[in-house]
Amino acid sequence: MNFEPAEWAREWMLDSAQWIALIVIITGLAQTAFYIVQLGYATMALSNRPPIPRGATLWRRYSDQAPSIAVLAPAYNEELSVVESVRSLLALHYPNFEVLLINDGSKDATLTRVVEAFGLRRVERYIGDAVEHAPIWGLYASPAFPRLLVIDKENGGKADALNAGINAARSSLFCAIDADSILETDALLRVVRPFVDKPDLTIAAGGTIRIANGCSIEAGQVKEVRLPRNFLALVQIMEYLRAFLMARLALGHMQALTVISGAFGLFDRQRVVEVGGYSLATVGEDMELVVKLHRHMRDLDQAYRIEFIAEPVCWTECPEDVRVLGRQRSRWQRGALECFAKHKDMCFNPRYGRIGFIGFGQILLVDVLGPLVEVLGYFLVPLLWGLNLLALPWLLAFLAVTFTFGILVSVLTLILEEVQLRRFPRARELAVLAGISVVENLGYRQLSNLWRLRGWWQFMRKEQGWGAMTRKGFGGTPA
Amino acid sequence: MQLTMELIEMVRGPDRDTLLANAAALGVKESLIERSHSYSAQDRLLAAETLAEYPEEADRVRQMLDDFNQDVRLGAALALARNGAAPPAQELVLRLDLGESERSLLMVQLMRDLVETDTQGVEAILDDWDLPDGVRLAAVDALASAGRVEHAPLLYWMTEAHEDDITFLIRIYRALGRIGHPEGHRAILRGLKHEAWQVRAAAAEAAGASAYVGGSEALAESLGDREWWVRFRSGEALFRLGRTGHEALKRIAASGSELARAAALATLAERGSR
Repeated sequence: MNFEPAEWAREWMLDSAQWIALIVIITGLAQTAFYIVQLGYATMALSNRPPIPRGATLWRRYSDQAPSIAVLAPAYNEELSVVESVRSLLALHYPNFEVLLINDGSKDATLTRVVEAFGLRRVERYIGDAVEHAPIWGLYASPAFPRLLVIDKENGGKADALNAGINAARSSLFCAIDADSILETDALLRVVRPFVDKPDLTIAAGGTIRIANGCSIEAGQVKEVRLPRNFLALVQIMEYLRAFLMARLALGHMQALTVISGAFGLFDRQRVVEVGGYSLATVGEDMELVVKLHRHMRDLDQAYRIEFIAEPVCWTECPEDVRVLGRQRSRWQRGALECFAKHKDMCFNPRYGRIGFIGFGQILLVDVLGPLVEVLGYFLVPLLWGLNLLALPWLLAFLAVTFTFGILVSVLTLILEEVQLRRFPRARELAVLAGISVVENLGYRQLSNLWRLRGWWQFMRKEQGWGAMTRKGFGGTPA
Repeated sequence: MQLTMELIEMVRGPDRDTLLANAAALGVKESLIERSHSYSAQDRLLAAETLAEYPEEADRVRQMLDDFNQDVRLGAALALARNGAAPPAQELVLRLDLGESERSLLMVQLMRDLVETDTQGVEAILDDWDLPDGVRLAAVDALASAGRVEHAPLLYWMTEAHEDDITFLIRIYRALGRIGHPEGHRAILRGLKHEAWQVRAAAAEAAGASAYVGGSEALAESLGDREWWVRFRSGEALFRLGRTGHEALKRIAASGSELARAAALATLAERGSR
């Protein structure tokens, strides 16, 4: 079938088609250029503060001056894994820390399991009232485990549970984690480094999260790094490498980091209290906290730093099911949009300096416009070509920009990983991931953008809630 | 190289000397000197730390105090100080730009090690008002950790001189608590009335740490402070003061203001004395 528009419409349609194609290609180019700049900054960050390979070296250098840390681990319906998680947390290598497990009104036997396993009994503790949260029902501890305090509270969500932990914490720093993640034993010593190096400036620090699917795990620790067999998990490994080793490390070096993962982040307790703790009515509470901290410090006109360290500190299980992954990605998209909408006055506002221009510029380009423009491009560019409104070179240019540079960025990230961190012991694994960085462009990338578009839709409809997150568990037992 | 350093850390006495001698015989020293010129900052830092264990290589490590990487400079200084081979404290302050571009908490460790070999040099830092506050605070912490009680009057005077510097005052009160000398008690009483809650909390903590029984009334009053941290630190301090403090807590629990009563009750309940 050959479509021939009326003469009067032809010129107008041709112009429109070329403009649409141009916008799509320019957005793609801008994104890619930003990624390349990020890679440069990530390389600089790694050169300026090279990773310390051995935990013993960290201990020798930092343990004497390391400030005390409260590790806040919210748990909801984690009866299958909570005991192992707490054991793993108590085994962290750090001179002065306490573990605050917050049972967020679990409907299963989470509390009973942990109380029985550690011989806890009900105790009293003078709790602060700095930030708001749902009522606390009871506190549990045992002299045999002086580092452990369990807070049992009414269900209020992860942010609410973390706020309860902040009130109960007695350390100047707190580390927010996911109870079902696995921390490296020296994770706290690694992430506290910016607080020791620049104590008067650092207010928050994040570390790299890695995917544990496929790895060999014993006694709550990753013993051998291996790749999973599941395609979705493999693709997510590449995504995490790009997100953490490139984007966040670079943005941290630029002092424009807008998110520290909820799975692992270290914060100055007092600064977090000053911004009211975690926000409750959002699914992107981790991102919102960091943006609130930026806003607060800029409003106070005080010098500060929010840092990111390259070393893997935390391992998490990623979804291997397409529906669960889709829900997660829609939720992340919704969280980013909620945060952007709430703080949109910071975007390109000179008052907020580089966070307004670079940090919010990145959110606008990658999270707000990115999925819209890319999906628009997927539909319109081939359509316009099919309607003879777009020349073949335009179509090829579009494909070249989106795919070739995407692959280049992924491969460069892998090279950075191999040069600086070397967590993949075999060359074969790097080759597999390089292959994945090509294959992911054919189908997965488009699907991912559709999930993000759904997140946009949910945001427009003001939908709330996290949706079910099914995990297999590190022991391989379905949970 | 890392293994050598870790083993050196683990052993003491003649075993350590033997280990160092054997490592040197195996060519570790030459390798370390080579790596002290490495492109990688981590390599240079580790080389400085290990080379400092060999007194005859102290000159090379001293050269590394001028390395272009900040971490390497501080690491070399720490390694030299740990082995009693550091230059005088004042020289280190200037060469490392301590307190200005170098503000790491590891400065405190450096000062603590320097107190062992150059006490007068560290004391002189306290008196040098041209030096940045950061380095003087590190000196305060180091002298307090070393239990140099003769500095208590100076610290007391510093609380007056730095009335508006909250960060400085917090560190000084902690130092006063560690020293525990009665000369610091007047300063603690004044700190409990300071307008910044961070200072009031630090002063309350210092009262408990220095067993300042005479401050129990002031601490009991602080149980009604509007800031939770001050109430918490005051309760903890009172509990540390023994019978006098316990009695004050019980009295406030029975008849204090609402805030003070809640703080006293919670402290007693937490400590199992209700």
